Amino acid sequence: MTDLLRSYGRGLSWIFVSLTAFWILVLIVLPQGFMLETSLWDINRDDQLGMKIDRAYSDLGLLEYDVTAAAEADKPAIQAKIDALQSEIADLESQETDPPREYGIQNYTKMSSLHFMIFVKSIVYALMVTALALVVCYPIAFAIAKVAPPQRAALMLLGLVIPYAINELLRVYAWLMILDYQGVINSVLMWLGMVEFADKSWIPFLEYSGSVFVALIYAYVLFMIFPIYNTVDTLDRNQLEAAKDLGASTFKIHWRIVIPHAKPGIAVGCIMTFMLSVGSYSVPQIMTRGKSGDWFSQLIYRQFFEAQSWNVGAAYSFSLVLVCLAFILIMMKVFKVGIRDIAK
Amino acid sequence: MRGKDVQLRDVVMRFGSFTAVQKTNLTIEAGEFFSILGPSGCGKTTILRMVSGFMEPTEGSILIGGDDMRGLGPAKRPTALIFQNLALFPLMSNWENVAFGLEARGIDKTARRAKAYELLSMVGLEGHEEKTPAELSGGQKQRVAIARALAVEPAVLLLDEPLSALDLKLRQHMRAELKEIQNRTGVTFIFITHDQGEALTMSDRIAVMKAGVVEQVDTVDNIYANPKTPFVATFVGENNVLEGKVTRADAEYAAIETPYGEVRGLNQDALTAGDRAMLFVRPERTALVNGVIPENHFEAAFERRDLEGAYVNLFFRGSAGPIIVHQPNIGMHGHLDGNTRVGFNARDALVMRAGEVDND
Repeated sequence: MTDLLRSYGRGLSWIFVSLTAFWILVLIVLPQGFMLETSLWDINRDDQLGMKIDRAYSDLGLLEYDVTAAAEADKPAIQAKIDALQSEIADLESQETDPPREYGIQNYTKMSSLHFMIFVKSIVYALMVTALALVVCYPIAFAIAKVAPPQRAALMLLGLVIPYAINELLRVYAWLMILDYQGVINSVLMWLGMVEFADKSWIPFLEYSGSVFVALIYAYVLFMIFPIYNTVDTLDRNQLEAAKDLGASTFKIHWRIVIPHAKPGIAVGCIMTFMLSVGSYSVPQIMTRGKSGDWFSQLIYRQFFEAQSWNVGAAYSFSLVLVCLAFILIMMKVFKVGIRDIAK
Repeated sequence: MRGKDVQLRDVVMRFGSFTAVQKTNLTIEAGEFFSILGPSGCGKTTILRMVSGFMEPTEGSILIGGDDMRGLGPAKRPTALIFQNLALFPLMSNWENVAFGLEARGIDKTARRAKAYELLSMVGLEGHEEKTPAELSGGQKQRVAIARALAVEPAVLLLDEPLSALDLKLRQHMRAELKEIQNRTGVTFIFITHDQGEALTMSDRIAVMKAGVVEQVDTVDNIYANPKTPFVATFVGENNVLEGKVTRADAEYAAIETPYGEVRGLNQDALTAGDRAMLFVRPERTALVNGVIPENHFEAAFERRDLEGAYVNLFFRGSAGPIIVHQPNIGMHGHLDGNTRVGFNARDALVMRAGEVDND
């Protein structure tokens, strides 16, 4: 803090500190805190409440009629009943408008076995997407950083970035058109005489999880390539030549020299790809059209907007956050990289 | 003796329209300490990369131990390269660095560990085996690099200016050490450098290169005493240069006309009267005229005196350019000012055809 003041003066320091505080508070603490709080309570609404209120009102109507017709001597007794009923109605109505919250972890524990299966399946799928993306991206990143001459490397990078100028949804729809029943691939197959649209003998790519994988990898490829590219790029070319000169095979060079050097980049790439794919809503939603089962992200959406159960939705969301945090910690442990390496 | 000889036969290297190495024939004897000396960009590193197998020559062939190396990659050649920046693997311990070549050959861990420890102790690094290169000093890293290269038992060790990153004291120490290792192992050393002092102290023979051409290949003594071209004369060591036309010449001596008057030196290019020529005389063969009068002498204005320690550099300026005199520092340099007479003997001076000199 003293350093900051000395280097930048009072005004700039104040801006830095307040911006950081704003970032932490508004973008991290507030939404996560709200989500966590919402996930920890539940309303135990009485199913009969509406009916009870209706009945009380009809009773009240009767009593009010009685009170006008009754003898003077009976009036106080009836009036007492009316008062009792009115306070009961007020009580019931307050229960309806502001139901009591029950705090606890019930939202986390009452996940149905089906939902839990989808939860596990989504994590496994996201892991597979991450692994596939790594397999696809590592050679590309290495080629751009170390193999291609500078001009071609620049072209390759440009080629990777250009698709990202298009909206993500459009890119997903492009894949939909390619993989659809009567899409590009099936049309080519029909032209080759291998499938026939008339008898629906097309290959139903969209019914396989693979189609989601393809679209996810395509959507998040840059998040894997750039961190790896950045780290591989800093590797001294002489080290590659030294290893080669000492007789190492291509596999050995990568296993012993390049990959250990690129570890922080690989860890960051995997973390980003995993978090983006496990939380991706649009890609599975568009690609499967409900034909190959929900992803957990879709389930969360349903909890919020179809089941109107924000508390369960929040609990599901927060479970996903925990999984992502666990994944980050595991990656840091496996790749033996610290938070500093990742920040680099 | 494990070294092998290296032959370059009519080797040419071109990059597009640029010729990095002109047609070169060179034979490096087995077990020799051979230096390729030249300014940066002269093609010496290109030759090194062709011998190590990272580049194939455009024309000609390279033979190691009599075998044509064409088509063999760096891994297949009996050479090991020590890089200018050493290129140690920073994430491995020192012994793993040394053992890397053995690991690549599939030798099991205990055997390669034993070998690596042995090599590290040979270069005086016992106790540093488990550290990483970052924990070592510059000279120690140098030794790890040498041990790593020697681990694959190369017949030819190629060194690409490996001492240039070290400070002066350490560099001088490492020179002796490299020479010692070379003597002990008998491996052929090909040492690339732009530092003539380095080349002179360590090498058996030197090739001096300029702009893709090998100007002279000779023993260190001959390179220094009998340079064949003006470039070699000025690039290796220091030389006073006097330029002029030949006035008289015979088989042994030639005299040239300079603003200092006529000076005579050995006529090594068999020049005849009228040729444009340069006369070279080493500063240590040039002296203040004092008592005995040498054959060539003239007056020059004293400029300044630099103390180098063991000797003193005296700088003079005259009508034909600067003259440097090296005097042993034995306390005889009383008072020098104004014009002083300096001179040298004709047999200590070389007269050769005028050409390009090193300008640094």
